[in-house]
Amino acid sequence: MSLAFGTRKRNGGKAGAGPSGPAAPSTQYLLRRKRRREAARTLAFLSPWLVGFGVFFVYPLVSTAYFSFTSYNGFGQPSFNGLKNWDYVFDQLPTFWQGLRNTLWLVVVMVSLRVAFGLGVGMLITRVKTGAGFFRTVFYLPYLAPPVAATVAFAFLFNPGTGPVNHLLGEIGLPQPGWFADPDWSKPALTLLAMWGVGDLMVIFMASLLDVPREQYEAAELDGAGPFQRFRYVTLPNISPIIMFAVVTGVIQTMQYYTQAIVAGKVASGIAGNSGQQFEPGYPGGSTWTLPQMVYNLGFQRFNYGAACVVALVLFAISMAVTSILLRRKSGFMANDD
Amino acid sequence: MTPSNTLTEAPAPTGATRPAARPGSPAARAARRRALLDWVAVHSLAVAAALFFLLPFVFVLLTSLMDDQQALTTDYWPTHWEWGNYGKVWNTPGFLTWWRNTLLYAGAGTLLTVVSSLPVAYALAKFRFRGRNLALMAVIAMMMLPPQVTVIPMYLFWSKQMGLSGSLWPLIIPMAFGDAFSIFLLRQFLMTIPKEYIEAARIDGCGDLRTLLRVVLPMARPAIAAVALFQFFYCWNDYFGPQIYASNNREAWTLSYGLESFKAAHHTNWNLTMAATLLVMAPVIILFFFAQKAFIEGVTLTGVKG
Amino acid sequence: MVAVAGSAVLALLATACTGSSDSGGNDDSASGKDVTITFWHGWSQDNETKAIDDNIAAFEKAHPNIHVKAVGNIPDDKVNQALRAGGNDAPDVVSSFTTNNVGMFCSTKAFVDLKPLLQQSGIDAAKTFPAAMLNYTQFQGNQCSLPLLGDAYGLYYNKTAFAAAGIAHPPKTFSEFAADAALLTVPDGDSYKQLGFMPLYHGYESTTEHYLGQYGATYFGADGKSNIAADPKVAAMLKWQKGMVDQLGGYTKLEKYRSTFGEEFSAKNPFHTGQLAMALDGEWRTASLAENKPGFEWATAAFPVPDDQADTYGRGYQTGTIVGIASTSKKQAAAWEFVKYLTTDTDAVVSFANAIHNVPSTFAALDSPKLVSDDNLKTFLDIAKNAHSGTTPPAVNGSGYIVSLQNLGYDYESGKQTDLQAGLTATAKQIDTDIAQAK
Repeated sequence: MSLAFGTRKRNGGKAGAGPSGPAAPSTQYLLRRKRRREAARTLAFLSPWLVGFGVFFVYPLVSTAYFSFTSYNGFGQPSFNGLKNWDYVFDQLPTFWQGLRNTLWLVVVMVSLRVAFGLGVGMLITRVKTGAGFFRTVFYLPYLAPPVAATVAFAFLFNPGTGPVNHLLGEIGLPQPGWFADPDWSKPALTLLAMWGVGDLMVIFMASLLDVPREQYEAAELDGAGPFQRFRYVTLPNISPIIMFAVVTGVIQTMQYYTQAIVAGKVASGIAGNSGQQFEPGYPGGSTWTLPQMVYNLGFQRFNYGAACVVALVLFAISMAVTSILLRRKSGFMANDD
Repeated sequence: MTPSNTLTEAPAPTGATRPAARPGSPAARAARRRALLDWVAVHSLAVAAALFFLLPFVFVLLTSLMDDQQALTTDYWPTHWEWGNYGKVWNTPGFLTWWRNTLLYAGAGTLLTVVSSLPVAYALAKFRFRGRNLALMAVIAMMMLPPQVTVIPMYLFWSKQMGLSGSLWPLIIPMAFGDAFSIFLLRQFLMTIPKEYIEAARIDGCGDLRTLLRVVLPMARPAIAAVALFQFFYCWNDYFGPQIYASNNREAWTLSYGLESFKAAHHTNWNLTMAATLLVMAPVIILFFFAQKAFIEGVTLTGVKG
Repeated sequence: MVAVAGSAVLALLATACTGSSDSGGNDDSASGKDVTITFWHGWSQDNETKAIDDNIAAFEKAHPNIHVKAVGNIPDDKVNQALRAGGNDAPDVVSSFTTNNVGMFCSTKAFVDLKPLLQQSGIDAAKTFPAAMLNYTQFQGNQCSLPLLGDAYGLYYNKTAFAAAGIAHPPKTFSEFAADAALLTVPDGDSYKQLGFMPLYHGYESTTEHYLGQYGATYFGADGKSNIAADPKVAAMLKWQKGMVDQLGGYTKLEKYRSTFGEEFSAKNPFHTGQLAMALDGEWRTASLAENKPGFEWATAAFPVPDDQADTYGRGYQTGTIVGIASTSKKQAAAWEFVKYLTTDTDAVVSFANAIHNVPSTFAALDSPKLVSDDNLKTFLDIAKNAHSGTTPPAVNGSGYIVSLQNLGYDYESGKQTDLQAGLTATAKQIDTDIAQAK
């Protein structure tokens, strides 16, 4: 289709070719023809994604914005209700702010701990001499565990009644928190789960640590720098773009934080959508409630599509704001080869 | 340097390159002692970290082999080794269907993603055209978009317009139209292919498609393998998608979604739940051991160099 | 009022239009053509699924051209989702364990109004179904569902444990109940060997709305606004439950014990295993206890009532399974045949009630000599007949208001919310805005 488009254009160009005439194509004409063929080719290569971009990105976004101004429960037709949904979500739905607060907690604590831990494990692995392959595989393995499986496993391990973690803690005389069943400990438990699956960050940090020019360390050592100073003045400046990358992608992942939170809540609450019972996310006490779960709850459990779309748009705005940090030239995301 | 080098060579510790003192001198002995201490410290930390990463697997495995009663106690070690638990899980009604569906979702999804994303990535990496940066930005925006943002119109579209609610097709079909993350990852790799190869192919009279298939494709094989693996894992692990589109129809459930309902049905039969958990993890982990290199290269590729 | 009546008429007209000339459907089942309908229900226990399957088999025998594909263990949110989506896999006939969503099913027209169908079949609803049950299956004049057996909630107690603790009779008031619960509690280190009663709202059936059945609280005022902050009974219930939590060991300790409980609908239910000596539960438990035969004597009684309402002893929370026809169904005639059979055929209702130990939902079945009832089940039949028994009223947004109150309950029992009256006022306001938003 795109090729036909190109051909038509070429004919059009020919008709208005002007001074040089159709018989003897000028270099200018040839150039233009080449450019058009290139445009058609580009379009052809991009076409699957252009369709996808339109149908699965632009259309649903416009549609979400539209629904956010309507009252719609899935039956009949949506009817325009102005800013009512916005007012409802921002002013009358305390769970919205609770979701934002939880998300902020996860961004501050979970993301930073995960990045710090990933960097630590990455540094450790670059210094292991014996059994490096074994350790690398072991450190990486949990990252591969499917999130639902990993969460179910953690809900068992951290089960306050019968789980081995609290049993171990009890044996060495430490307090035994309620983890996934205690509003104060559910997010720390989820953080531990996230740190367990730190393999991706470990690999990225490992690669970037090995890229740090060795001469810089030698020079620093000659200047009498200790290990801490070497880390501070050589390692950190060299890998700071990677840390930045890890933080930003971590924040974006947190904006999408869904599976682990909802599965942990379901398993720990004992209400697993069984036998007519319906599980409302956020257990215990709304402490694991996040905005993506709110979209699910409002949209697919309470069937208030309008309000769900408002939350979806808020989620969109935050995600795109964070993404724009990645789009800065410095991050290397947009690097070109020419 | 390419990231793959780091995988095959054991990295040298940063302190190892200092000028060696004369053997036998006190300085040399002190250095040796320091190196030994360093070795011990590093390796004890590594063992501690390995315990942190491995113990959950070990507990899950041990619990999966206990009998029903013991799984509810705080014991660590099974008194009777109930290998039959795995058989019980395997024979749970629906378990095989979940496997089949997951394989279909992950298999078809992966194939479609690779086929549809490669040409797009190639165009973004190697063609010069107006709006290229804009297109790239759009790809990144799509990649970072939480799936919940668009789920309501998409659900209404697939269920009401297309009548495909209760199946995995609403998740598979979009993958025929390019996946943003795969496009991005492939583009990052294709950028590293020197222009000369492509120009040489063109001079030999290859069209763009032929150049892509004959010259670029073989060179991009590691990146394609990484993208395929990522997509396979993504589909395998996906919970939100099947929860929205397939939860109504037990026949369309995937392993990730089914595992949770398995937990619901077997509540504190933690032994069976843990056996099911391991059965869901196993294929992914086995696949990793076969394709470790491609996978780690892929992860490294996502961390872009500044 | 005029508007309500008007919309009811409109609803009648609408269903009359979507259904065709005969009994409300155009699927040709009446003329003997083979039709397969899909039926969704929530039953999951072996004895229950067997009972519903037997029931279906009897229906298929009587209607050889109608085939029923039953899908079990479906929660209400999935029902709601499927009713919106329509399509080939969507259900034709749907049942739900709770009456909570009837308001939503009716007001959204997810279920068709069954009144015209009842009329065509010559069934007088008022003479067939008990009034309370008929009420909880309709919303603002729209009879979009029918009762399919009823549930009543009462007290289960471990007679062996009672004897061991020297307790002669089941408690009738909350003060007796608290004393018995303490006597029945056997500590085990920092946990329990046996707990008298699990008061936490996550303890399976011990939910806010089931407790409130013992108080007879009014959820909505005459103006349709939430009444929970104004009705002192709601605050009294929440305080009483919190008192039980504190008396029996505190939230953290109880929550830890709760995490060792087995699945509710299985032989690992904590009452079956002896982990709990008393439980608030529905009448169906008599069937599973009879089947599992735990190693102790057990019996049932009405759940105790607050001391200041001692004269209402015998009451309990009442609800029931409801069944309706999806408005997206293209096989409404066959679906109605099935619903009519399930809900009004006396033999079907009686045999199903006998099989799963539920309260029958028609007058004829309640009086049927075939109804098997032992003393334990009779407790619940009496609770269902008690004039003080009540249920949760329907609302346009379904169970949203119950969930909101339940969430306050979680916050209050765990100590997260300490100012009860402020919590109730905020929750009432939340319920009102949620309902206004859903309209």
